[in-house]
Amino acid sequence: MRISAAFLALTALSLPALAEKGHVHGEGSLEVVIDKGNLSLRLELPLDVAVGFERAPRNDKEKAALAAAQQALSDPALFAPTPAAGCKPEPARVEMPAFDGRKPPEHADIEATHDFRCATPSALKSVETTIFKHFKQLYRLEARRAGPGGQGAARLTPKNPVLAW
Amino acid sequence: MLRLAALSAWSRRLTLGLTLIAIALAVTLLLSVERIRVDARQSFTQSVSGVDLVVGARTGGVQLMLYAVFHAGTASNNIAWDSYQAIATHPAVDWALPLSLGDSHRGFAVLGTSADYFARFRYGDKEELRFRQGKPFAGVFEAVLGSEVAQGLGYRLDDRITLSHGLGELGPEHGDKPFRVTGILAPTGTPVDRTVHVSLESITALHLDWVGGAPLPGVNIPSAFVAKFDLRPKEITAALVGLKQRGDVFRMQRFINQYRGEPLLAVLPGVALDELWQSVAMVERTLLAISALVVLIGLAGLAATLLAGLNERRRELAILRALGAGPGDVFLMLTAEGALVTAAGALLGVLLVTLGSGLAAPWLLERFGIVLATRLPGGQELALIAAVIATGLLASLVPGWRAWRMSLADGLTPRN
Repeated sequence: MRISAAFLALTALSLPALAEKGHVHGEGSLEVVIDKGNLSLRLELPLDVAVGFERAPRNDKEKAALAAAQQALSDPALFAPTPAAGCKPEPARVEMPAFDGRKPPEHADIEATHDFRCATPSALKSVETTIFKHFKQLYRLEARRAGPGGQGAARLTPKNPVLAW
Repeated sequence: MLRLAALSAWSRRLTLGLTLIAIALAVTLLLSVERIRVDARQSFTQSVSGVDLVVGARTGGVQLMLYAVFHAGTASNNIAWDSYQAIATHPAVDWALPLSLGDSHRGFAVLGTSADYFARFRYGDKEELRFRQGKPFAGVFEAVLGSEVAQGLGYRLDDRITLSHGLGELGPEHGDKPFRVTGILAPTGTPVDRTVHVSLESITALHLDWVGGAPLPGVNIPSAFVAKFDLRPKEITAALVGLKQRGDVFRMQRFINQYRGEPLLAVLPGVALDELWQSVAMVERTLLAISALVVLIGLAGLAATLLAGLNERRRELAILRALGAGPGDVFLMLTAEGALVTAAGALLGVLLVTLGSGLAAPWLLERFGIVLATRLPGGQELALIAAVIATGLLASLVPGWRAWRMSLADGLTPRN
């Protein structure tokens, strides 16, 4: 009994700073807030995952890839809240990294914000994402949420693209 | 027939007893792993409610949670009072509770905080702290005790207690500045029960004539004069923060994590716990798998013992047959013996776990903030026990079947 408890504690203490998420290739982060009738999702994706490079586009093909990524991330169908909650999407905001051309950035992220207004927020129990279908390089999304039922964290993957609480 | 079977088992009590103990220990291990897993989650989740952010110096999120919420372990660094003020007065912040840890009273943690704490703090399902007796502290050198502190040490209202510096029971005493007990809280089943609450000013006042963790020789400021000093704290250990709007929580977290004054860390308590469970899930599964394996080994031992005993019992079984027992009876007897030993082992295991958790509970609470409930097994634990007994029955079928075959073939004089 002692050993297992110590084991647990050891594992706990050896964890890195959990809140400080760095830039990890292949991994995005998702913040979900439910406040009254508002559902707000903020997605951060390494540019590399979306288009395969992290610098200014060099040719038309790369420019097209950037545009396609922006298009996919603006799609209101990217996230599907519980249908019973009656959530209506508001226009998504997507911020692409700005390449001013002078100093190449070490890393670049895309930020996308999707807001919903929900008629019955009490029925809101999950959000499903189709993001893994658009970006094959993305193999997980670290989701953190804060809502009336409390806070929590979950890992979304292509096999499990549903955040439920 | 039953009597004969019982007598036969009694004549082999040493072997069967040892097998029984092996099974009991295996079941104890299995149940302990499961119980600690469930109770750790339960007690961590219950300990804090309605707090949007926990703020401390930059360490690990779990470590911050451990000392700020569960008063277990120690902080590596403090945060400056100015930083706390900057957060507490931020427009998005509804309320903030400063926490100052580091002193203790006979093994119980001492928490310096504001009097607001008793009105703001929530545990379990948004439950408020209730006073069983008395009221919050109002001035310097007044203390509010958690229920277990009061009960364990036999304190009443208006008793005088002295705190010690540091966390050990042997730390230097703040003997010159006793505290008066102004209130005793109702039990919560959380670390609050094991905490002595005082004001932040009291913590500063205690250490007025201290430098570098020891009393300054030759300097002794009597309690009556401390009010003349500036008792505003210079630093605190951590803070609990509630926001006006939940929607600001991630923004505020970023604001605190990027705070320019000093390296700070803000975590969402629910998120930090979930992330902790995510990372220990693998360890938990491994531990559970290993203990399940140990149970299997115990049950295989049981089957082996019964099988090995069969050869010696050929005569006995043949005599039973001669007395009129059918092969089915012999089969039943062997199988029942195994199943009963398993059941007895499981029962003994449950008993051991109940006793053991009673013994380990204070230690787990103090070191890891885990409230281990002493209770009879329920839910998942019952399912585990049932699985053990079912497997035991299955394993006993093997010697039962062998005995059945033998009793068909053997006469009174076994051929060998």
